[in-house]
Amino acid sequence: MLEIKNVTKKYGKNIAIKNVSFNVNEGEIFAFIGHNGAGKTTLIKSIVGIHKFDEGDILINGKSIKDDPISCKKEMAFVPDNPELYEQMKAIDFINFICDMYEVPQDIREKNIKKYAKLFEIENNLNDTIESFSHGMKQKIAIISALAHDPKILIMDEPFVGLDPKAVFDIKEIMNEMIKEGKIIFFSTHILDVAEKLCSRVAIIKKGELVKVGNMQEIKGDKSLEKVFLELED
Amino acid sequence: MKKMISLIKASMTEGMNLFKVNTKKKSPFTKIVLPILIALLLMGVMYSYSELIMEKLAPVNMQFVLLTVFIILTSVLIIVEGIYKSGNLLFNCKDDDLLLSLPIKKSTVLFIRVFKFYIFELLYNSIFLLPAMIVYARYTNPDILFYIVSLIGLILFPIIPILISCLIGTVITFVASKFKGKNIVQTLITVIFLLGVLYFSYNSENLFNDIAKNAANINDFITKLYYPAGAYIQLITKFDVIKLFEFVLINLGLFAIAIALIGRVYFNINSNVKGIKRKKNNTKYTIKTSTPTRALIKKEFNRFINSPVFVTNAGFGLVLFIIASILIAVKFDSFMEMFTQNGIPISLEFIKGCMPVVLLGLLCFTSFMTSITSSMISLEGKSFNILKSLPIKPYKIIQSKVMTAILIMLPCILIGDIIIFVRFGFDLLSIVFVLVASIILPLIAETIGIIINLKYPRMDAKNDTEVVKQSMSSAISVFVGMAIIGITVFLLFKAVTSNISNNIIMLIFVIAFGIIYLLLDIFLHKICNKSFENISV
Repeated sequence: MLEIKNVTKKYGKNIAIKNVSFNVNEGEIFAFIGHNGAGKTTLIKSIVGIHKFDEGDILINGKSIKDDPISCKKEMAFVPDNPELYEQMKAIDFINFICDMYEVPQDIREKNIKKYAKLFEIENNLNDTIESFSHGMKQKIAIISALAHDPKILIMDEPFVGLDPKAVFDIKEIMNEMIKEGKIIFFSTHILDVAEKLCSRVAIIKKGELVKVGNMQEIKGDKSLEKVFLELED
Repeated sequence: MKKMISLIKASMTEGMNLFKVNTKKKSPFTKIVLPILIALLLMGVMYSYSELIMEKLAPVNMQFVLLTVFIILTSVLIIVEGIYKSGNLLFNCKDDDLLLSLPIKKSTVLFIRVFKFYIFELLYNSIFLLPAMIVYARYTNPDILFYIVSLIGLILFPIIPILISCLIGTVITFVASKFKGKNIVQTLITVIFLLGVLYFSYNSENLFNDIAKNAANINDFITKLYYPAGAYIQLITKFDVIKLFEFVLINLGLFAIAIALIGRVYFNINSNVKGIKRKKNNTKYTIKTSTPTRALIKKEFNRFINSPVFVTNAGFGLVLFIIASILIAVKFDSFMEMFTQNGIPISLEFIKGCMPVVLLGLLCFTSFMTSITSSMISLEGKSFNILKSLPIKPYKIIQSKVMTAILIMLPCILIGDIIIFVRFGFDLLSIVFVLVASIILPLIAETIGIIINLKYPRMDAKNDTEVVKQSMSSAISVFVGMAIIGITVFLLFKAVTSNISNNIIMLIFVIAFGIIYLLLDIFLHKICNKSFENISV
């Protein structure tokens, strides 16, 4: 389980996230939505251990990211919004590098890399350097690297940006497969239609504060998620 | 003109923030006071050197030679450094797409790039030249014209060197852009070119003799050797307004011509540099398992060899160490002869006897002048978040950077060591001491480098040159390195002249270096996590 407990993050005097709390359970796809600058990326980076936070705690299957970051990170995978990868590396070397960091055994990494590279139709480009790739291709490499070590929790920041329609469809399929295995998927998005159709739960953040969190159906009622979101923004 | 001013302003605030640091605490001290202190300290050192030289020149009424020496030295420095910096500063910059999409002339983009380079060199040059000018003024009490000409000179001196380096850098980038492994080819051509320059300067005695024979006087000699220095010396010794105009026009004219020349090919080369060929239908890829440490070192090495400015900056000192070892081995007797002829009372046997200590000094110099790690964190740039999200302890990541630097340095250092061992027939104990020092000294230098970079990272650089050559971290590393070299060489000199046996000296120094390294490593371990976390991208 992913538990966010009263997390507050400040940048100097500015409060980026204020006392945010919610849980994400096994087998859930959880959407995290909010306008630009609301604090989505800040919270995501705090969850995956990139940012420190000032108050509260984040627990990954009961372990605190503050106290035991290595164990927590081993259970997670992170796909950033802007794939800033190692440009001079070959794509396959980058994926191998990430697998080495997670100490993924040879057979598992072979199975996963081949499976996802074929799915994302990028197997012919794995020997090319990342600098030659488009944004979408880099995003695919970041996603393959994240999935190659079979994470229990997948954290993604705007995962659909720059991807072609087939890749978007494939990711949605992968997400559905993963929750069947009891894994957790937590992602931020501005594509509310996708969030509405795909996610069982949702959290809406506004100016660093959580304004809604709960089951998708409860939150939106008879309206669309887009309508609920826009009403909250007003 | 408004557009140009806005562009220059944006360019200066973004890329020319020379000593921009990326720490949480952006206090006025780190932002303003520290860079000024470093610059003033360097100027103080240059002032002392200038004083020392002037004390010898003043009695023979040759004060202007001080300025000539400084102008020529700074110009050569700009050319040599500029050759490997310019490729990176002019081409394939991160803001290319933004600038080229704006409604401005393409030549304006090139002008902005060269201008930015010029401003940096102007500041850099001033640190060296201003103290020499002050010392000259103190000794000669010149009139107001000296100050006017000097100010104009200070502004104009960097122009010709940066144009030469831009032209050579452009040619090298153009040739390299034709190859698949552009970065590696660019590095190779640059290193070969710089070694060629070194070889030429070592064998240029005849050229200087020819110039001297054909020169009417010393001023004429300087002018023929390097026009800007000669013109400036002529103007401060005998002011002539026409000559001043000529001096200004030649510099500005050359600037305009060079921009026009490079501008003709600039955008084609830039597109070639950006264009990367992909292999077609290459499904044969290797999936290999490796330990985290090995994978991290491999990643660091890949980053290193793909950055021409990084390789050249780090590698040049190492190549010079090998060259110095060869020269000492081959030309030792003629060096000794030269000392004896010049009346320097050094006994051949004494120098031969203390060669292990001399080598220790040389190793110290090479290690502290080759700070690879002082750029390694900054070079991560925005991809630093990848490292932060990995299930690896920051200390392990940092250690992998230090290890990579050691693996890069060690082969060159060992080659130099072996040459000296063989030539001077070191005893076993000396060999052991030197070999231990060959590992510990780079370890100390690189640990200091990484600590400095952890404290002063620059994560938003537009290109590698801004990190390797123009960042606070690299400046502090050079400065600290120079101080350590100075102290070590002084102590070594004191030790060899106090009749202590070589092996005792070596033992004491190796133990001291070992303790220093252990203390540094403990310190690194202590600050590593916090400093790593504090770096935000």
